[in-house]
Amino acid sequence: MSVTAVVRGLWGSLRTTLWHVRAPRETVSYPEVKRALPERWRGRIVLTRDPDGEERCVACYLCSAVCPVDCITLQATQREDGRRYPETFRINFSRCIFCGYCEEACPTLAIQLTPDFEMCERRHGDLIYEKDQLLIDGQGKHPGYNFYRQAGVAIPGKGIGEGESEQPPVDRDSNLP
Amino acid sequence: MTAFEIDARQVPFNNGDNILKAALNAGVEIPHFCYHHALGSLGACRLCAVEVKPEQPEQRPRVVMACMEPARAGLKVSVAAPAALRARQGVIEFLMTNHPHDCPVCDEGGECHLQDMTVACGPPYRRYRGRKRTFINQDLGPLVHHEMNRCITCYRCTRYYQQYALGTDLGAMRLRNEVYFGRFQDGPLESPFAGNLVEVCPTGVFTDKVFRSRFARVWDLDTAPSICPHCSVGCNTLPGARLGTLRRVRNRDHAELNRWFLCDRGRFGHQYTEHPERPWQARVRGQTVNYSDALGAALDQLQRAGAAVAGVGSPREDLESNALLQRLIIRHGGFFAAFTDPGIEAATAHAVRYINRMGTPTLAAMEHADAILVAGELTAVAPMMDLGVRQASRNKAKVGVIHHVADPLATLADYDIRLAPRQTSVALKRLQGMIATTAEQSSGDEHGLAQLAATLMHAQHPLLIGVVETLGAYGVAALAKLAQSLGGQAALAYALPGPNAYGAAIVNEDGATQKVLEAVETGKVRCLVVTAADPLGDTRTGWRWREAVGRLDSLIVMDCVDSATVRAADILIPTAAWAERSGYFINYEGRVQCFDRVFERDKPLPASVAVIADLANALDLGAGEPRVAIADLLPGIALPLAGEPGIRLTPRVRLDVPPPIESVAGATGHWQVGLASWYGDDPLADHAAALSSLAPASTATIAPDTARIAELATDARVMLRGPAGSLPLPLCIDANVAEDTVALPRSAMCQIGVGHGGYVELEAMP
Repeated sequence: MSVTAVVRGLWGSLRTTLWHVRAPRETVSYPEVKRALPERWRGRIVLTRDPDGEERCVACYLCSAVCPVDCITLQATQREDGRRYPETFRINFSRCIFCGYCEEACPTLAIQLTPDFEMCERRHGDLIYEKDQLLIDGQGKHPGYNFYRQAGVAIPGKGIGEGESEQPPVDRDSNLP
Repeated sequence: MTAFEIDARQVPFNNGDNILKAALNAGVEIPHFCYHHALGSLGACRLCAVEVKPEQPEQRPRVVMACMEPARAGLKVSVAAPAALRARQGVIEFLMTNHPHDCPVCDEGGECHLQDMTVACGPPYRRYRGRKRTFINQDLGPLVHHEMNRCITCYRCTRYYQQYALGTDLGAMRLRNEVYFGRFQDGPLESPFAGNLVEVCPTGVFTDKVFRSRFARVWDLDTAPSICPHCSVGCNTLPGARLGTLRRVRNRDHAELNRWFLCDRGRFGHQYTEHPERPWQARVRGQTVNYSDALGAALDQLQRAGAAVAGVGSPREDLESNALLQRLIIRHGGFFAAFTDPGIEAATAHAVRYINRMGTPTLAAMEHADAILVAGELTAVAPMMDLGVRQASRNKAKVGVIHHVADPLATLADYDIRLAPRQTSVALKRLQGMIATTAEQSSGDEHGLAQLAATLMHAQHPLLIGVVETLGAYGVAALAKLAQSLGGQAALAYALPGPNAYGAAIVNEDGATQKVLEAVETGKVRCLVVTAADPLGDTRTGWRWREAVGRLDSLIVMDCVDSATVRAADILIPTAAWAERSGYFINYEGRVQCFDRVFERDKPLPASVAVIADLANALDLGAGEPRVAIADLLPGIALPLAGEPGIRLTPRVRLDVPPPIESVAGATGHWQVGLASWYGDDPLADHAAALSSLAPASTATIAPDTARIAELATDARVMLRGPAGSLPLPLCIDANVAEDTVALPRSAMCQIGVGHGGYVELEAMP
């Protein structure tokens, strides 16, 4: 190896280093500076509301069934008027692996993963989020969807046959065709 | 055995089987909706399409419905043929056009036949974008929820309800794709077997309303094989629990007992385990204490009383608790009884003796009888036996019912014989006399007894079923003698008073109840231990117990429901309900069955057998091993495990009891009291909120003729006087009540202190 080759190699490295001195920076000084995350980032899980401001979750247990680490626990109950909702909804974020299966399984678009990862606690127990910590006052990523408008069950404000793509109810007492 | 071929697999079949039945029996899956083992084929859903290969070269393959095509030897069937697949896909796609987008809020989800079949056969996406047909739902009472939009018109519900359970108030209405399954008007379903609609329906039209109130998906439920604790039939069940609470009970197949169905008491009675008044905390003289303090107090009282102790077991307590308590008390030098009423004790002991001597049919065998005599209100005591009688009736059996109050079975009976309580055993003796003399005289036959006797005599397989509680020892013996007079082919069954009444009768010594009651009354007993029994709430003897317990130093009670005895207890030790522990019951056939622990509560209560074992060990009586106590009681019997079909006791356990003497109580009054029971009437199921909301109102019910003679108006209130006191009740007039009888609910009988067949004074109140 000749001296010229060594000098050329050293100069090449030095030039790259000198170029990076002036180059734009990728690193930001978190937490003073926060970076915008992609919308599809899978972070902290929330429960959303439908356009009428009611809870979207109908406590169907599909999220807890699909969860590979069993971090979701809930108990279904229903209001006097027949609308079903979770009495308790608990996610253990110290177990959650943010895989997003729950969001994929959710038939009512209630459970959604948000671009937020800032969840630090001093105790493991504090990472168990209850329903009041999960439920937000918005529709999240899917505005406009209301499960009960598609379903066949009656809720206040939508009787049988008043949903989207439903015929008016059949009169069972009539024998006319 | 002959066989045919399904997709190159040989499938054996019996004569008369169709392709679907043979395939399902052989474990070959063919998709289907409307076919059900108990209900047979209908051909309504068109899902079980299969291709039959041509037998002659000039024929073409054809697609047929497997449930309608008889199986023949040499038949070549293909489930996977493209034509059959297309046919099934088309059926599913059409069914899904109107099926609502309900799965997330539907309780059937996870065990839905339609979900399974759609995933198995159907197209993955719905092409139909039109509007869906809808129906208004009905309120079918507190047990069954109705969501008619989900219907796929398989007709299983009406076929079960009308043809199998012989109910009348659920049917199909309207026409073409708008067929509606429901009642004529909103209202609770009348059949005591309505809960089976939940399991029969392949989709979520009928769902469990009790489960709905605290719903959990089926995959989350903790289950274990169990036995129903609500009557002596011992149906096999599968309770489901979640997060330390019991949520629902489903049927578990037992080939000789319940098979596909359960009664509503068995399905919905489990709610007693979640009753808000259920005792959860141990108490010592009104003070809430922990378990070890209560146990210490009980030990102290037992030691202080010395030999002046008595124990009362129960027909609703498992075998080992009864056996262990008996050992503990006897070794302590005291008295033990497994019953609270000497009359019930004698009647049960006799019934068990006759079952042992003559054998008794399984529930499945009852359906093959061709003449049946039912003595008592069977539907109220053992509803599943009633369902068996209904099947026999469907198979053209003649049914005679001797009853004293309105009885669902009597409305279906060919011989509806209404008799006052004390007349029943007289009638049974008369029947026996008619059969013994083979005289078919019709003179003086005011109740159709002669016709019934002739039917029983000419039958190939006559079956006699007696309700032990209302027959009494004398009636039990009369029914057995009637069976003997009918000859060897006659079958005899008794509906015993409790899930483990047979076991209680084995543990109990003859006359023990009378001895214990008298010993308590005379003050010979200082300390009384009661497990899962309610002596103070007994109909006939409750008032004597209530007076007698005042003479005790201490009353130690172990129970899992609130009762008069629990409220009067000095030391109360709450125990686990049946699903929270394991144990053994012996059913009406003498079949030992094991039930497993289904779940554990956050704060588990001890099983009564564990409490008794703790007491025995602390007293150093060497009686603390439940398995040893059972082994001594049933020598040479290898106890079955939970989930096994159980072991019938052979060689049969001997039980020596003297023949019964008809007791004539020297009571005043002209009115015979008849027990007005109903299918939810059970010490445990009484605490089930939804089921007990269907209980009939508490009234004094009498026959119209009797009311006219006694000059009682329809809307009168009457005052009833018995040995324990008097009670005002509204009067109800019902033509189904026997003459000279006043039908009273159990609670009223307990308050005035008369049992079934006793006498009371009745007078109109101003």
